[in-house]
Amino acid sequence: MEKSLFRYIWQHSRREQLLVCAVVLVSQPFYFFSLDLPRRIVNEAIQGQAFRDGQTTATFLRLTLDWPAWLGGGSIELFQGFQVGRVGLLFGLSTLFLVFVLINGAFKYWINVAKGALGERMLRRMRFQLFSMVLRFTPDALRTVKSSETATIIKDEVEPIGGFIGDAFITPAFLGFQALTALIFIIVQNAALGLMALAVIAVQFTVIPRLRRELLKLGRERQLASRELAGRIAEVMDGMEVVHVHQSQSWEKAEIGHRLFDLFDLRLQIYNRKFMVKFLNNLLAQMTPFFFYAIGGYFALRGTLDIGQLVAVINAYRELPPPLKELIDWDQQRLDVQVKYDQVVQHFTPERLLPEHEIETVEDVPLVGTMQAKDLVITDTHGSTLIENVSFEIKLPAHVALISDGAAAASSVARIIAMQVPSFSGSLLLNDHDLRLLSPSIIGRRLAYAGVDPIMFPGSIRDNITYGIRCKPNGNFDAAKREEVRRIAEALRTGNPVESISSDWLDYGLVGAKDADDLDRIMIDLLNRVGMERDLYRFGLAGQLDPERYPDMAGRIVEARRRLRVTFQANGMADLVEPFDIHRYNDQATIAENLLFGVPTSEAMTGRNLAQNTEFRRTLDRAGIHDDLTEMGLQIAETMTEIFEGIPPGHSLFQQFSFIDADEIDDFEEILRRHARGPLTKDDEIRLLGLPLAYIEARHRLGLLDNSLRMRFVRARGLVREMLEFGGNPGVDFYDPDKLCAAAPLRDNLLFGRVSYNIANARERVAQAISAVVGELGLLESIERIGLDHQVGTAGRLLDAQQRAGVNLVRCLVKKPDIFVLDGALTSFDEGRAQMLIGVLSEVCEGRSLFMVLPNDRQAEAFDILVRFRKGRVTTEERHPTVLGKSGVSEGERMAGGVV
Amino acid sequence: MTLETEVQSLRQVPMFKDIDPARLKLLAFTSERVQFAGGQRFFAQGDMSDAAYVILDGRAHVMLDTAHGEIKVADLGHNALVGEMGILSDSPRSATIVAAEQTTALRIDKRVFLELLAQFPQIALAVMRELADRLERTNAQLAAQSKA
Repeated sequence: MEKSLFRYIWQHSRREQLLVCAVVLVSQPFYFFSLDLPRRIVNEAIQGQAFRDGQTTATFLRLTLDWPAWLGGGSIELFQGFQVGRVGLLFGLSTLFLVFVLINGAFKYWINVAKGALGERMLRRMRFQLFSMVLRFTPDALRTVKSSETATIIKDEVEPIGGFIGDAFITPAFLGFQALTALIFIIVQNAALGLMALAVIAVQFTVIPRLRRELLKLGRERQLASRELAGRIAEVMDGMEVVHVHQSQSWEKAEIGHRLFDLFDLRLQIYNRKFMVKFLNNLLAQMTPFFFYAIGGYFALRGTLDIGQLVAVINAYRELPPPLKELIDWDQQRLDVQVKYDQVVQHFTPERLLPEHEIETVEDVPLVGTMQAKDLVITDTHGSTLIENVSFEIKLPAHVALISDGAAAASSVARIIAMQVPSFSGSLLLNDHDLRLLSPSIIGRRLAYAGVDPIMFPGSIRDNITYGIRCKPNGNFDAAKREEVRRIAEALRTGNPVESISSDWLDYGLVGAKDADDLDRIMIDLLNRVGMERDLYRFGLAGQLDPERYPDMAGRIVEARRRLRVTFQANGMADLVEPFDIHRYNDQATIAENLLFGVPTSEAMTGRNLAQNTEFRRTLDRAGIHDDLTEMGLQIAETMTEIFEGIPPGHSLFQQFSFIDADEIDDFEEILRRHARGPLTKDDEIRLLGLPLAYIEARHRLGLLDNSLRMRFVRARGLVREMLEFGGNPGVDFYDPDKLCAAAPLRDNLLFGRVSYNIANARERVAQAISAVVGELGLLESIERIGLDHQVGTAGRLLDAQQRAGVNLVRCLVKKPDIFVLDGALTSFDEGRAQMLIGVLSEVCEGRSLFMVLPNDRQAEAFDILVRFRKGRVTTEERHPTVLGKSGVSEGERMAGGVV
Repeated sequence: MTLETEVQSLRQVPMFKDIDPARLKLLAFTSERVQFAGGQRFFAQGDMSDAAYVILDGRAHVMLDTAHGEIKVADLGHNALVGEMGILSDSPRSATIVAAEQTTALRIDKRVFLELLAQFPQIALAVMRELADRLERTNAQLAAQSKA
C-alpha cells in the first residue's frame, strides 16, 4: 500500500476531489455577496444612502460588467435593474439576502454529500485492499498476527481515515477560501481592523499546533492499547476452556482491569490537553471581537468608519472563527489520521504478505505425469532442518502413503505437495514445470488438502462442502436491474470485485453434476460413503422442510405421516405416540403447545414471551383459564423453590430440569411470600403465567391438570387461534393433519404427535418405525438433502469432531482433485473407521492421485507406493507394480537424501 | 399418579427412607416414570448400567443367563429398587429384569443420581448405610451357611 496517506488519497480520488474543489470555488462569489448584503441593507435601505439627493427611487438589481483599466476601462450594462422606492429596496435587498442564504445552503448540501460519498468510497477501497492483503498473509505472519487485531484495524481503525478522506483536500480549500474571503472583506472595509484579525489568526496558527503535538503521541499510544485490548479479549474468548479449567477468572479480570485503567489514563491525559488547547483557542478567538468593538467603535465615533461598515465587519468576523477553528481541527485530524494510517500500513508490511497473484486465465492442465522432487530442504520456524536434500520421483496418478516415523518430515513433504509450504528450497516439478509457478486457479480446482483441523465456516453442511467449488459466478449477473448497475458502477469506482455473491458460484462441471439437485445427490453419496449416513439422516429429521424449495415434498411427508399412523395401529404401537388432535388435550406436549396448537414462528410467541403478550392473556381470561394458569404457576414455583433449594446456581440439574433459572429462584420466593400476604401484582401474575406454559403433564407429573381443565384448554384453542389470526400475521404455524407444518422439524411432521414419555423405549421404537416408513416411501434421499441444510455453527462447533472431519473429506472429494493430500485428516476416527475410510478414499480417488501421511504400515495396504520416512532416511517401495504398470518407481529404489 | 405418590413409593425403599422429603421430591422429579408391557425387558444381563428403577406398580422377574438357559432367580414387587448396584459400581448388568405384567417404574438416570449423591451428603450417607447393611446381612448369611 502507498506509504503516504495524501499520495494514496490523491492517487485514487483525484477526479472527485478536483470536482468538489471546483464547486467550492464557484460557490465563493455567492458567499461573498451574502456577506456584503447586510451592509447594503443597513446603509442603502435603512439609512437611506441610496436616496441621498432627494431621489424617490433607486436602482435595484442593476448588473454591470466593468472592464479593468488595462483593457481600456469602461463597462457593459447587463441588466438595467428596477426602479424601486425605499421600502421596495429594503424588501428587495432582504429577499436577495434570503436567496443567497438558500444558494449557499444548497452548495453546502451538495458539497457535504459529495464529500461523504467520496470518503466512503475511499474507505470501501481501503478496507477491500486491506482484506485482500489479509488473504495474502504468509503462514509465518499468521502465527504472529492476531485475527481480532486485524479485524479491529479493518473495521474500526480505518473508519476515521475514511471520514477524513472526504475532507483531505476539500476542507482546507473550502474553509481556507471562506476564511480568506471573510478576511479580505474585512481588510477591504478597514485595513487596520483586517490586520488586527490577521495578527490574532497568525498567533492561533502557530501556537495551537505546537500544543497539539503531544496529543498525537498520546492518541497513538491509545490506539495501540485499544487494539491490544481487542486482541486480548479475543484471546480470552478463544481460550475460555482453559480459563474455566484453571479458574483463572480473577487473574483475567485483573489483567483486563489494568488495561482499562491504562486506556482511561491515556484518555484523561488526552482530555486535559485537548480542552486546555480548546480553552486557549476560544480565548484567542474572543480577543478579536473585543478589539473590533473597542477600536472599531472608536473609529466609528471618530467618523472614519461608518456604522454599516462596522456591523458588516463584525458580521464578517463572526463568520471567520468557525472556518479557522475547523481549519485547525482539520490540521489536527490530518496528523492524527496520518499516524493511524502509518500504523495500519505497518500491520500489512510486504514482508508479511505473499506475492500478489495475477488472476489470469490460463490453460487448465491436469496434474498428472512425473512428479519430481529435487533436493528438498525444509526448515521450521526456529530454523532447524526438518528435511534435507530429499529427492524422489513418482509417476502420477498414484496412491502414495507417506509413512511417518513420528517426526514432522512426512507432514512437511505432504504440505509441500499440497502447496501449503510456500518457502522451501529445492524444487518440486511436475512434467518439468515448477509446481510453485502453477496458477492458483489450477491449484484450487485440481488439488485438495485435508489437514488435522477441519476448518468450517458458519453455514450449512452444503455450504461448507461446496466451498471448494465456488470458482466464479455462473453466467452474467442481471445487469438490467438498476440496483445491479449501481452496484457494479460503485465496485468499479472503488477497485472492488464486480461479481455478485447472489449469483450461483458453483462449478457444476468440475464436480460432474448437471445441476444443483445432481450436486446434492453427489454430496449425499459421498457423505454416505465416508460413514455419515446416520448423521445426515438425523440432521434431516431435525431440520425443517422449506416447502418452496421442495414443493413436492410436503405431500409426501403428509403421506408418510398417514402411513406411519397405520403402522403404529397395526403393530400395537398406537400408544407410543400421542397424536395432535384438535379436539383432545395432548398430555405429552407443553401447555403452550396445547393452547397454540402449532409451532411459533416469531420470537414473541416463543416460550415465556407468550405470557408477556397482552392479547394472549386477555384471550386466556376470556377462555376462563387465566386464573387456573396463574394458580398452576404458583404451584410450580412452590415445588421448584422447594426441591431445588440448596443446589448451587449453574448446576447442571438446574439447566436440565428446573422451570426456573437459578438466579430467578429468589424472585419467585419473593412472589410466593407476597402471595401469602395478599393479592399479586400484574407483573407477578405475568411471571407466574410464564411457568406452566412449559409444563408437560406426562413428563413433570406435578398433577396440575384434571379433565375439566384439559377440556377448557382445548376449548381455548379456538379463541387463541382467532386472536392470533386477527392481525393477519399469527406468528404461529398451526397444526393441520393434512398439511405440512413448515416451522416444525421434519420428525415432528412425520409423527404429527409427541412420543410418550411414559412408555419404556418408546423413542427407539418410534425411531425404528419412522426409519422403516422412510425406507418404504423412498424418502431417505430427500431427508438427507434436508440434512445438508444442517447448520454447522461457528467453526463447526455444532458438529462433533468426526462429523467435521467427514465434511472436510467430502469437501475435498467433491471437486474430484487430481491430487488429494491428506495429513492427519483421519485422526479423529478410531483405527477401524480410519481403515474403512482409507478404503473408501482409494476407491473414490481411483485413477487420480492420493497422498496420505500414515503413522505406520498397518493402514498402508491400499497404497501403490510407500514412502518411508525413518530416522533420517527416505525409502520407497512399490506395492502393486501390476496395477501401476509402467509408471511406477521400481521396487526398493533408494531415494537420495536424508531426513533430519 | 403424581409426583407425590412417587415420593411415597421412594420413601418405602430402604435406601431412601431417611432422606428429606424435599430431596426425595427432587429425586422423583428428575426421574422418569416409564411403563413396561408384560414381557418387556427393563434391561438385559451384560448391558451398560445407565439407570436404576423403582417399581411403582406391577411385578418383574429377575432372570439369570446360565449354561442351562435363562432361569428366574427372584421376583420384584411394589417399591422394589433394582439396578442401583450397577450404576454405583459402574459395572454391566448382572441380571436381566423382565416385566411380569404391565409394570410402571420410576427410572432414575445414572448421571442425575450420581450428581445428587455428589451434591447432597445426606443422600450419599443414606446410600452408604444401606450398602453397609447389605454387606452385614451377606456376612451374616455367609456365617450362617458356614456353620450349617
